[in-house]
Amino acid sequence: MIQLKTMLNCIDNSGAAIVECVAVMKMKRHAKIGDRIIVVVQKQRNFGPETGSGATISTSAANKVRRGDLRHAVVVRTKKKLQRPDGSVVKFDDNACVLINKTGEPIGTRLNGIVGTELRKMKWSKILSLAPMHL
Amino acid sequence: MAPTMPTLRPLSCWKAILRRSRLQKAATRTLTTYYKPKPIDATPTVKKKIKAIPPPPTAASLFKEPIKSVTETQVAILDPTGARTKLFSKANLEAAHVGDILLVRLKNGDPFAGVCINIRRRGIDTGILLRNELTRVGVEMWFKIYSPNVEGIEVVQRKEKRARRARLTYMRKPKHDMGSVQNIVLAYQRSRGALRGNTEINSNAHENKGGKRKIKGKR
Repeated sequence: MIQLKTMLNCIDNSGAAIVECVAVMKMKRHAKIGDRIIVVVQKQRNFGPETGSGATISTSAANKVRRGDLRHAVVVRTKKKLQRPDGSVVKFDDNACVLINKTGEPIGTRLNGIVGTELRKMKWSKILSLAPMHL
Repeated sequence: MAPTMPTLRPLSCWKAILRRSRLQKAATRTLTTYYKPKPIDATPTVKKKIKAIPPPPTAASLFKEPIKSVTETQVAILDPTGARTKLFSKANLEAAHVGDILLVRLKNGDPFAGVCINIRRRGIDTGILLRNELTRVGVEMWFKIYSPNVEGIEVVQRKEKRARRARLTYMRKPKHDMGSVQNIVLAYQRSRGALRGNTEINSNAHENKGGKRKIKGKR
């Protein structure tokens, strides 16, 4: 249930750590996994913990977005339970998103964290291929 | 009766006398009325016997408990061996309980394992809630145990002490969270593979190549 003012984790290496939803695109209700939203970067990622896994990539990528930037994003995890057509339900412990540009390409080059398989249905295969795991 | 009555109370005396006379009057009236009794024995012979048609046999008479019978037929279709029912029946002592680590193998998609924190018993809609931690993010999934998509459910590890709650939702709290059970599940799968034989070992070895990326590699 991603809506106005929802704070989400940003799980790519674009440099944003926490973003705030300011609008849900193409629908009048809350966003679910795979929906496109507009976000404001609230907190930039600290370089400290990132250095372990490819410091050069993260530092160069960290410049891609700054605090206060208005960006598009795709929701990849929700705390709200999401029911699949086969009756199974998936629920994550946090809300997370991946920043994309206006054409739909992901801004970051790596993702750290599981994403929902609903992205396949919504044609976000690029994000799915970047993700280490999907469920 | 009248002569024994005390003279001080003439009213009651009058009342008794009048009552008697009134009764007499009524008797005389009935005597004078013309009454011709109807022939008593004529009515029962005239009364026609109505042919009672029994109601058509309804489904309600055939199925006293329709929901139960529907559930039974559905379970018979979806779980012909009865293994799934047995695994989650309350009567079975060896059944899976909350707190156990369960592994759900799916027909399309990768297996999901996690701590069972809730069993929702609703006949054919019976479901289990599994919780695990994948890539350091807590994930919960509901599975319908009779779903055709579910190939098999295995008990990876039992809870050493019986849980004293029916729903272990407190395990979502950081204090009680079990964290990732992926290591236990991998060890279990490896041991199962060793028991089964060579082919299984090979497939498992392929599966276990890189802890986290296991699921993606299998696709």
